[in-house]
Amino acid sequence: MFRLSAVLLMLAVPVLAQTTSQDEWQDWGAEDWDFATQTASTPVHGFAELALGTRVVDSPFHSGTSLQDARLRLESQYQWNGISLVAKLDGYYDGVLDNWSGRTRELSAQFTPLKNLDIKAGRQILTWGTGDYLFLNDLFPKDWQSFFAGRDDEYLKAPSDAVKVSAYYDLVNINLVWTPQFDPDNYISGDYFSFFSPWAGGLIAPQPGLSAQTPNNDEWALRLYRTIESLELAFYGYDGHHKSPKSLTETGLPTFSRLRAWGASARMPLGAGLANLEISHHQSLDDGNGDNPRIPNSQWLVLVGYEQELVTRLTGAFQFYLEHTSDYAALLTYSPFTQWETEQNRTLVTTRLTWRNATDDLSLSLFAFFSPSDEDAYLRPSLDYRLNDQWSLAGGLNLFSGRDQHSFFGQFEDNSNAWLRVRYSF
Amino acid sequence: MMKKLSLAALAAGLLAGSSLNAAEVDINAIVKQAEQAAYYAGEDGRSAARMMITDAQGRKQLRQFIILRKDQSDGGDQDMLVFFSRPADVRGTVFRVSKHKDRDDDRWLYLPGLDLVKRISAGDKRTSFVGSHFFYEDVSGRNTDQDNFTLLEETDSQYRLQAVPKQPDTVEFTRYEVSIDKQTMLPMLIRFFDAKDREYRKVEALKVETIEGYPTVTHSRIQDLQNGGETEMQFRFISYDLGLPDDIFSERSLRNPPGQWLDLKE
Repeated sequence: MFRLSAVLLMLAVPVLAQTTSQDEWQDWGAEDWDFATQTASTPVHGFAELALGTRVVDSPFHSGTSLQDARLRLESQYQWNGISLVAKLDGYYDGVLDNWSGRTRELSAQFTPLKNLDIKAGRQILTWGTGDYLFLNDLFPKDWQSFFAGRDDEYLKAPSDAVKVSAYYDLVNINLVWTPQFDPDNYISGDYFSFFSPWAGGLIAPQPGLSAQTPNNDEWALRLYRTIESLELAFYGYDGHHKSPKSLTETGLPTFSRLRAWGASARMPLGAGLANLEISHHQSLDDGNGDNPRIPNSQWLVLVGYEQELVTRLTGAFQFYLEHTSDYAALLTYSPFTQWETEQNRTLVTTRLTWRNATDDLSLSLFAFFSPSDEDAYLRPSLDYRLNDQWSLAGGLNLFSGRDQHSFFGQFEDNSNAWLRVRYSF
Repeated sequence: MMKKLSLAALAAGLLAGSSLNAAEVDINAIVKQAEQAAYYAGEDGRSAARMMITDAQGRKQLRQFIILRKDQSDGGDQDMLVFFSRPADVRGTVFRVSKHKDRDDDRWLYLPGLDLVKRISAGDKRTSFVGSHFFYEDVSGRNTDQDNFTLLEETDSQYRLQAVPKQPDTVEFTRYEVSIDKQTMLPMLIRFFDAKDREYRKVEALKVETIEGYPTVTHSRIQDLQNGGETEMQFRFISYDLGLPDDIFSERSLRNPPGQWLDLKE
């Protein structure tokens, strides 16, 4: 796989200057209007990408390299008897872990058995909710490792093996997702990035990465939504497990305790921009009273956001996020390390500035997380440049800082990195 | 009563003594008819479209998509879906607009890689549409209430109007001239002028075909006369009055495109 992608990259270079000639435009006959809906052929598309990242501070646990991918993506779509089949496959060499991987990103079938009913089954990416990089009611798996390492945003969402049933009515639309086997996040485990462990009393980076005990249970996720004029309303439900291993088994192994969540969101135009509001109650089913120090307490999550174009092609966005921990007194009473517990009300503010140039091929973005309660921060400046329809370049930084070693972003200080990606799409 | 009015109009025309007179030509009606012809033909419509973008250095890029459109009322609110199939990095992306006359348009972008329905804040409509020289506003139509129109010239075949923005600070032009074909009422040439009254942007209809009784621009070009570069746009597989149902203009179609309405036939 790696050889193939390297060859593709090399072959593609001389093509750069003559990618889309005038002849191609002239020759664009009727048969060349190849739309995805036409079934005559099943073209294969995808990309080849090289991604490199390096730490910008010394880490006691890891070498300087934080990202080293050579990746080939192949995807295709096929219509068969009213069923839409999608396959997206990744083959890549991961230089950080020094291994070759093949991953199925999507392998799904979607069909419409009744006029107002869609079913999509198989491996798929699932997203809902109104937050920007903040997820309250979206409890589908995330890949935090990719996010912190500087892979494409697409990889922040990890695939689910699930069945999604969507029903559409005048009163309300319904999405119900059943995941037969719990899909956890690709959490920070030590192999890529170090993290703080209160049980170890400091930063650790187990090699190979920390492996948590994954329950064999299923997951259910529900969304009811409706759009009234310009107002989008949604209600959410979830029954499954915490997505990151925040718990310990009785024998002291990291695991995912049970979680049930209920929430709601609204999004609408406000003034010259867009406002969103989202709340969620995360009920920690294995620790109803908050007195079990091995299991996280229940929480209320609240998000308020606003986005507006500031001047032409420059957009600014702001989010305020609150995590309120229930039964906090019980948590402190039973916690073996009260000095490292987060505050009862963890607050987080995010800002995003995005600028695009007039020809729409260069975009600069600065996303910043800042927590007033934890006194830590995470900055994500990035640049995307599209040379033409085939080649694109992206670069950026992931900068973590914090007053304390144990806070959410503060623990990743040694993992601050710079990254660069080159992609050839076909 | 009718007689009195028309006599009065005739008298006014004689007094003005000019062939270019508002009493003879209802500018407002021309503008409305041109808007109708260019953006509201039929009750609904479908078209495949492709663009060739040439930058100032001569480098070329392609875009290809299918547009579905439905009018809530002629000259009024409108729903639109744009399904991209080229280039590779935007394949599967869907753009949805709910155009409103009395408030800001609602706009969404579906990004298949993340399964994300991203809502786009109202913002400036005079910015590049997917990297081309066309603006969002050129694709969906500029609200004609935003400009004051005057008649510059009337020939046997065309009206030439001048438009001056009512809110000049919201746009990059100080005026534009639009030439409207009298037979089809389609705008054939639009020339934009900057603060120094230099023509810096030109939109041309290069080919018009009558499809299902509706004169339709099937090839157009926009040129950046200041920096160089141009975008050509071609339309094919055009169909009107398909009977598109209201409910396809929804979030459902972003994740599950309505194949029945995207099956292209001439």
